[in-house]
Amino acid sequence: MSSIRIKAKERNGTVDVKTLMKHNMETGLRKKKDGSKIPEHWITDVAAESGGKVVFAAAFNTSISKDPYLAFKFAGKKGDSLKISWKDNTGKTDSAETKVK
Amino acid sequence: MFKSLKFPVVAAVLALSGLATAGPLGIGSTATAEMIAGWDIDVRPDGMGLPDGEGSVAEGEGLYEAKCASCHGLFGEGEGRWPVLAGGEGTLDTLHPEKTVGSYWPYASTLWDYIYRAMPYPVPQSLSHEEVYSIAAYVLYLNDIVGDDFVSNKDTFAEVKMPNEENFFIDNRPDVNNERCFKNCADPSKFEIVTTINGVTPTGHFKEDSGVAANHYDGNPSAVSESGISTEKNITKVALSEGATLGRGVYDMACQACHNSGIAGAPKVGDVAGWVDRIGQGMDTLNDHAINGYQGADGVMPAKGGNMALSDDDVVNAVAFMVESSR
Repeated sequence: MSSIRIKAKERNGTVDVKTLMKHNMETGLRKKKDGSKIPEHWITDVAAESGGKVVFAAAFNTSISKDPYLAFKFAGKKGDSLKISWKDNTGKTDSAETKVK
Repeated sequence: MFKSLKFPVVAAVLALSGLATAGPLGIGSTATAEMIAGWDIDVRPDGMGLPDGEGSVAEGEGLYEAKCASCHGLFGEGEGRWPVLAGGEGTLDTLHPEKTVGSYWPYASTLWDYIYRAMPYPVPQSLSHEEVYSIAAYVLYLNDIVGDDFVSNKDTFAEVKMPNEENFFIDNRPDVNNERCFKNCADPSKFEIVTTINGVTPTGHFKEDSGVAANHYDGNPSAVSESGISTEKNITKVALSEGATLGRGVYDMACQACHNSGIAGAPKVGDVAGWVDRIGQGMDTLNDHAINGYQGADGVMPAKGGNMALSDDDVVNAVAFMVESSR
């Protein structure tokens, strides 16, 4: 199951997107009980594409919370495809696609 | 004034209902099947109590957004301080456990029951069976427990296995079984207090003629029989001599601080193995060591236990008590 959940709704030519990415977003500063550091693991880049065009992009850092929640708007219409993807500092990526409602 | 009014009113109600029904007291009426069904809404872990009906994740999404998301968040992340429904997996044993449906709840039945009984918060019990099936399915989907094609009904819902189910089990720690004694039990009136703290608070007692301290438990489970009474000889009841009987009070006051628990290498009272060699030295030697002090291989015996106010006779009596209690 994808780590990304998307809700995209169009109203008056504007698509309202809400998305939640499940990710630990470890800063690398926290320690375990035995004193060893928990390795950093966080999303570096997020991109949203609609119809082959990037409509939203973000560069994250360690100040973003665990399971980041994003909301943004772009000009679009019902039925458009929307693909959101992320990449983290370990090189892992994930993406999810949905249709604008 | 209210009190005086109440009685005629109650009496009138009783008289009216008495006309309508018959029973031992002539009040109340037999509950009909419909009445019972209105109260009988609980759902059990095996799915018993789930009503007919059906709901899908897709239907649940719309219902959830309309009725639940304003507090629980669009993705179950929780708005403000309202309860979080999704996420938190693997956080239960951390400093900040996040208890959600996915990370904590043991059975899906609780989800159905809870939504039906108590949700939505402003208008509880306003949802139909189908709506509850749909919303419950969607909440499970938010927790990645079921797929987006899940259709919940009586049968599929009961089969849902929650991730944290196995962490709920019947407590199997030995000290929670407070088993009652029904035969051959100790008679509390025959217990005799043998050790005290400061001569007041009883810390040890034993059953008459058993030769065993009823409360003895030295942390070694093998020494405790099924009845919970130690089979190991610890404090043995013996007929105490006159001197030893007098010495018990001295012991409680001056000696038990070390000799009750074995502090500083002191031989414990009742510890037969610890005392046998010492007793073998003869009472005179023991008395001499107790009165004048002694440095042994195991530890130090301060003169008169450090309490110089005791007379020699007191010490001799206390030694007699300890020796006679430890044979």
